[in-house]
Amino acid sequence: MKVQENLRDIARKLLVNKEATLVIGYAPGSEVSRVIPAFIRKEEEVDHLIWNPLCVNNLAKYLLDYNQEPGKVAVVVKGCDSRAIVRLIQDNQIPREKIIILGIPCPGLLDPETVASRLNPNTQILSASLNEQAFSIQTEEGIFTFSRNESLLEKCRSCEHHTPVIADFMLGEEIPPANRVDPFEKVKKLEDLPVKDRSDYWDKQFQRCLRCYACRNVCPACTCRECVFDQAEPCWIAKANNLSENTAFHLIRAFHVAGRCVDCGECDRVCPVNIPLTLLNRKILKDIKDLFNVPTPGTNLNELPPLGSFTNSDPDEFM
Amino acid sequence: MTNCRSHNPLRPFPATIIKIIDETPDVKTFQMVFDDPEVMENFKQKPGQVAQISVFGVGEATISITSSPTRKGLLEFSVKKVGMLTSALHRLEPGCKVGIRGPYGNHFPYEKMKGKDLLFIGGGIGLAPLRALIDFVLAEENRKDYGNIEIIYGARSVDDLCFKYDILERWPQMPGTKVYTTIDRAEQGWEGHVGFVPAYLEEINPTPKNKYAITCGPPIMIKFVLQALEKMGFSDDQVITTLEMKMKCGIGKCGRCNIGSKYVCLDGPVFYLSQLKQLPPEF
Amino acid sequence: MNAYIITRDNLRTWIDALIRDYTLVAPVREEEKVSLFKPVGSFTEIDLNYTNSTISPKGWLFPQTEEMFFFFTSDNQINLEDACKPGTTILFGLRPCDVKGIIALDPVFNGTYQDCYYQMRRQNTILVCLCCTRVERHCFCNSMGGGPTNGEGADLLLTEMEDGYGIEVLTSRGEELVNKYHQLFAVDGDNRVSKTRDEMGKKLASQFSRKVDISGIKEFLDQHFELPYWNELAQRCLGCGICTFICPTCHCFDIFDQSPDGESGVRSRCWDSCMFSHFTRMAGGHNPRPTKKERIRNRFLHKLKYHRDRYNLDGCVGCGRCINKCPVNIDIRQIIADLQEVARYDQLPLS
Repeated sequence: MKVQENLRDIARKLLVNKEATLVIGYAPGSEVSRVIPAFIRKEEEVDHLIWNPLCVNNLAKYLLDYNQEPGKVAVVVKGCDSRAIVRLIQDNQIPREKIIILGIPCPGLLDPETVASRLNPNTQILSASLNEQAFSIQTEEGIFTFSRNESLLEKCRSCEHHTPVIADFMLGEEIPPANRVDPFEKVKKLEDLPVKDRSDYWDKQFQRCLRCYACRNVCPACTCRECVFDQAEPCWIAKANNLSENTAFHLIRAFHVAGRCVDCGECDRVCPVNIPLTLLNRKILKDIKDLFNVPTPGTNLNELPPLGSFTNSDPDEFM
Repeated sequence: MTNCRSHNPLRPFPATIIKIIDETPDVKTFQMVFDDPEVMENFKQKPGQVAQISVFGVGEATISITSSPTRKGLLEFSVKKVGMLTSALHRLEPGCKVGIRGPYGNHFPYEKMKGKDLLFIGGGIGLAPLRALIDFVLAEENRKDYGNIEIIYGARSVDDLCFKYDILERWPQMPGTKVYTTIDRAEQGWEGHVGFVPAYLEEINPTPKNKYAITCGPPIMIKFVLQALEKMGFSDDQVITTLEMKMKCGIGKCGRCNIGSKYVCLDGPVFYLSQLKQLPPEF
Repeated sequence: MNAYIITRDNLRTWIDALIRDYTLVAPVREEEKVSLFKPVGSFTEIDLNYTNSTISPKGWLFPQTEEMFFFFTSDNQINLEDACKPGTTILFGLRPCDVKGIIALDPVFNGTYQDCYYQMRRQNTILVCLCCTRVERHCFCNSMGGGPTNGEGADLLLTEMEDGYGIEVLTSRGEELVNKYHQLFAVDGDNRVSKTRDEMGKKLASQFSRKVDISGIKEFLDQHFELPYWNELAQRCLGCGICTFICPTCHCFDIFDQSPDGESGVRSRCWDSCMFSHFTRMAGGHNPRPTKKERIRNRFLHKLKYHRDRYNLDGCVGCGRCINKCPVNIDIRQIIADLQEVARYDQLPLS
């Protein structure tokens, strides 16, 4: 729990010294397996802040709600979330000097469903730790261990940056890159299928889309002041919920975030009908990497998205 | 089994635009007639009610009926060009087909108003719903039931005055009727009053005795008119206003025009100030 | 009303017969973690072991997108043609909370203005409820006046038994569905079905992870519209439509036209969400619920107050879907508990 202590200490200092007017972090949720985004403004609320392997939400996008904040806003980010910070800065959504980045080197998260299936929902987590083999969660009802192999969150298996790529305060020891599952494993499998099968696969997924727009609202690359899907005129996508409109929605969105998607996995997490959006976005990410030989977007503040920047030396073979 | 065709409230009746009057650069009044004479005959609106106008292929919008029910055989809607549907309406010409369903909502309490003087205060396109009641009480068959009529009306400029014929010629000539017209800023050729409606109202300083005040206009005007009326001694039960909310179904199902647990399309759009004060400030 | 017992083998025969004679809509496991109500072609497609479908089955009475009528222009005449022609549908295997959700929707689409689209589907739909055999961690139907074995509002109520299923007939329409295939059913002479159901009910009552106390909440909200608490909730709300779309009682919709040539086309309606910013935004730009705070307050007041004001029914049936799916853990049980706390705090100066 060293990280949690560091987090509270620094948050307290920032608020007391008025270096920040707001700290965005995590607090316990309504049940043991959930956390909530917390917005801390007062010193006495700092102890609500927690860090444990259930802190899944990417908090970076909340910064957009506070771009009129008079003071600086501090935000807690994991490695994956930190790429979203770079995204927002590069897109001129937030000025770098207005934010204080509290980076947490994250060894990987626990699948909340696995936790929920074993723990009393009303208990509280007292402490958590992780070694090579297992997560260990101490609650009021004892210590529970979860094998890392079985209960590591899917997206963490292919984690690229355990340590945030950008931070003003690093709240724990840096975690070096480790062996990871190929993030494009599933993409490659799908690519190997005949066109008909691929098409059927996505039809089945998009068919059940509710068009709740959670994927868009949570996405750190979706920052348009007015989204095309909300425009009445011109009407790019009909309000009708059917396969054709749903497909158009997902493909337009995928191409809109192409080269800017930081692969944080939030769209996948929030989808209420489990549409594998990471798979869709990773297909484009893979193509972009193949075409332009660039790192995952958001990795480097000075490296602009390949489709959003140009130089005189760009090849123009297509002209 | 329910027969969808015979009483489907969401299905409009085809109607034809018979005349279009240019009121201001962005307001037109449309005279419409149902294609089926029986539907025309059975459409019995009360002053203050609204209807849903369809431009097929574009959609529907809620528009207040600006003609008085005493005027038989047609309906009038005055429409300001603000959105997609109203812009589409503005592109239509006489002879074009539309759809109408309704009438919806409650109405001005014209029964309770009998024997009373009436003070109308309107701004801009806000005169449209009031006009239905003004013409209703001024109609020959009803005139004797009501006392004196005062109408205070204002717009940004002379160009923006709606119903110019009514306010400048027809209504001032009616017995027991006074019309006060004002524009926000002085301009050449205008010899009438210049100033905002609430200020003009205070200048005129009508007595609240035996009177109802009915107001409609932009929210900021309504706000100051209500303050002025209160200062003059009007009670909350003497002041009536009509609200505008985004509506889709018009029949209390689609869930967007609620203010608290009231639906403006069913329980409004006409509210006494006393009722309005009971509602959460979400309009 | 009568009760019957059907063996597992006969249940299969019965369902296949129903599939042959009607449109049967039943829970189907679409993906590992997605369970949906869909029309089925055979008994084997049905997953009766589900706890709660991902999306509520309300869409079979109030589809997410529903064509209302077609319009045609010819010789400057507009002709309209109705689109709705539903056949008889059996909603099979509904959980009690979802039946309660339908009961909560009924008065919305009833009243002075009959919504013929809903009414036609409703009158042509037979509700077969299936008692729960376990309680999910987000379930709180027992706090909202329902219960995992309370099939009130259904036409038939099924209870899983050791040797098959018990069937309690709640309406004459339900009776018809049994009578038509009477050879498959044995009459329950000694109330075994209701006894089994009672026992199951008692067993499940202790399994709820959280009991919610809604007493006094509506009365508190009657008096308190403006609460800083709504700001707190709104801070983390994403403003997406998950909660409203999966909810069994949310009924907001939009109406829109589609016309490729401007001459003919279709008018449809589709689910809309009070959580979307443009839901109440008027053409001129004014928005009476301009921020997430007003919108989230509206949603929860709708559930806890407005629905009761208008229809004297709770706007929440305790199915727990929104709790399960909200990406930022906005938990209506917690909101109710917090409001109780706020109410107590609010009253402190008085006592």
